[in-house]
Amino acid sequence: MKSFTYTITDPVGLHARPAGLLVKAIKEFAGSTITLAKGEKSVNALKLMGIMQMGIKQGDEVTVSVEGGDEEAVAAAVEKFFKENL
Amino acid sequence: MALDYRKCAEEIFSHLGGRENIISAAHCATRLRLVIADNSKLDLKALEDVEGVKGLFNSNGQLQLIIGTGTVNKVYDEFLAVTGMTAATKAEVKEAAASRMPLWKKILKTPGDIFVPILPAIVASGLMMGIVEAIPKFLPAFGGTDWFSFLDLVANTAFALLPVLVAISAARVFGGNIFLGAVIGLMMVHPALINAWTVGNYAPGEIPVWHLWFFTVQQVGYQGHVIPVILAVLLMSTIEKWLHKHVPEMIDLFVTPLCTVLVTAFCTFTIIGPIFSVFENWVLAGAQWLITVGYGAGAAIMGAIYPFTVVMGLHHMYNVIEAGMISSTGVNTWMPIASAANFAQFGACLAVAIKCRNRKLKSVAFPSSLSASLGITEPAIFGVNFRFMKPFVCGMIGGAVGSLIATWMHGTNAAGEVVAFGATTYGVTGIPGIPAINNIPMYLLELLVASGIAFVLTTILWKEDQPEEKKEDAPAAVAEEAPAAPVVISCAAGKVYQPVKGKVIAREDIPDPTFAGGILGDGVGIEPEEGVVVAPFDGEVTAVMDSKHAVTLEANGMELLIHVGVNTVNMKGEGFTAFVQEGDRVTVGQKLLGFDRDAIKKAGYSDTVAVLLTNAEDLADVKCGLE
Repeated sequence: MKSFTYTITDPVGLHARPAGLLVKAIKEFAGSTITLAKGEKSVNALKLMGIMQMGIKQGDEVTVSVEGGDEEAVAAAVEKFFKENL
Repeated sequence: MALDYRKCAEEIFSHLGGRENIISAAHCATRLRLVIADNSKLDLKALEDVEGVKGLFNSNGQLQLIIGTGTVNKVYDEFLAVTGMTAATKAEVKEAAASRMPLWKKILKTPGDIFVPILPAIVASGLMMGIVEAIPKFLPAFGGTDWFSFLDLVANTAFALLPVLVAISAARVFGGNIFLGAVIGLMMVHPALINAWTVGNYAPGEIPVWHLWFFTVQQVGYQGHVIPVILAVLLMSTIEKWLHKHVPEMIDLFVTPLCTVLVTAFCTFTIIGPIFSVFENWVLAGAQWLITVGYGAGAAIMGAIYPFTVVMGLHHMYNVIEAGMISSTGVNTWMPIASAANFAQFGACLAVAIKCRNRKLKSVAFPSSLSASLGITEPAIFGVNFRFMKPFVCGMIGGAVGSLIATWMHGTNAAGEVVAFGATTYGVTGIPGIPAINNIPMYLLELLVASGIAFVLTTILWKEDQPEEKKEDAPAAVAEEAPAAPVVISCAAGKVYQPVKGKVIAREDIPDPTFAGGILGDGVGIEPEEGVVVAPFDGEVTAVMDSKHAVTLEANGMELLIHVGVNTVNMKGEGFTAFVQEGDRVTVGQKLLGFDRDAIKKAGYSDTVAVLLTNAEDLADVKCGLE
């Protein structure tokens, strides 16, 4: 399992639209299970409702874990997505 | 890649900190919902890594494991098998989560919790019994037929063995094993004991007794009793839980049930049962005194408190008073009071049935009120009136006035002589009581007054957003129009009714590329004419955004996002109101959010509402747009 942490910089947090973009991006890595965690809560990053229910705000630190598939490459790609969009 | 449900359930269980740490389990469309006693015993990290668990939430004493549609029920079944738990409904899990409420509230809630689940049995038997007993009053010949005797047996089964139903239900409420609970209930109506209904036929010395140490126990059953059964099962559950905790696991399987049943049985027959009988006798003596005191004032008070005795399960004992009256004077003057009290509860329940908008409540209240009009008030009292309290109190007032009137009336006996107003039999009230009464017009007047007062008071005083149904303050207009709202999205799993009034546009025309592009799911846009969002189906609110501009709902596997406006998240809740919160159950047409269209325009955003099935790709047959 490969994971990284990221602090959300988007002023509106991980909201409907960014969450939708994230899910869309994650869908491309079908071979891996990607989990998004904040504090005690965690959710499969493919689940839009789950992500939105976590209520992630600007300044929150999230942990993204990648399991299965080419973990290194997928984690790097997802991290890149976070930096560019969130 | 089929998931091994058994393995998944076993792995989940192994990370939960033991069976005692799980208070209850339920599942919804996608999640396994567990109420956990001690969160620190959970291994969340390991739980997440279990194959089949797609994610988890842990909030408000409820651990939610996301398993997925179609698989969660199978994992749940295995989970029950692995843990030896019995199925809990989602509502029960919520109740367990709310177990931190004050003690007095819990005590008040207990009779309802026990009686509501057995309502189907009571309604079936109660209605049948009312009808079967009424027929011979009009058609005396029917009473001797095989049909009557057969129907009578079918109808009174649930009542004759009521302690068994009560015991099973109570065991579930108190967290005991329901089968041990059933044993306690069965024991209390064991056929080898003298039936409590017929014990009056025995002279005091004839009743066989057991001498158990220094206790002398009469061998009499507890037919028609409620409180000793509930207390016995409460004791049983307490003993059982204590033993489970303290008996070594190796011998737990046979030591715990054995000791539980034995100790409970002994305490029930020696202490709980006899003490309760004395308590009951006091109630009866008090009642007999009351009915005869002060120009009808006593009767009015009795009419008012009668339903309370129904709640406590003591009203069956009135038969003893009534039988005494008939054998001494030939007129049962108690029955008009019972009728007024019961018929007033019918009036109150009918008012709730007519006034409420919650479909589920309506579907309980109507048959319950019908049953109450036939003299069987338990469904109306436990299922409706007592739950909301106000209708119950309104019914008490109606019953009091009806009873007061009854004491001013007179009747005529078969020989045409003027006698006290009353009935020639007992055990019937309400409509089935008509043939038994000695002054039918006065009886009808009394019933009309009692139920009329209860009905009018309930209609005025009771509001649906009182106790349990929280925040259901949608104005009637919204609720009435909502079912007529057109369907905007439909799929195999259900229909989404238009949640906001206005012009429905295609998803592609929503003025935002994320919504229009279908990234958040498939659906429609609405250009609102009104700043109100109502529930588009019966379901559960899964999230309300902090900024109150969006809400997510779930029903039958459909996950729906209703998002008001574009970029309105930046308004940080200004101009938005939320009427519901996460976890609320909503019915179609119920108000969810309010928004100020002018404020949105002033902030420079579009107020187009996006209504999207976020999991549209997992659903079959999704059709968007007006039909």
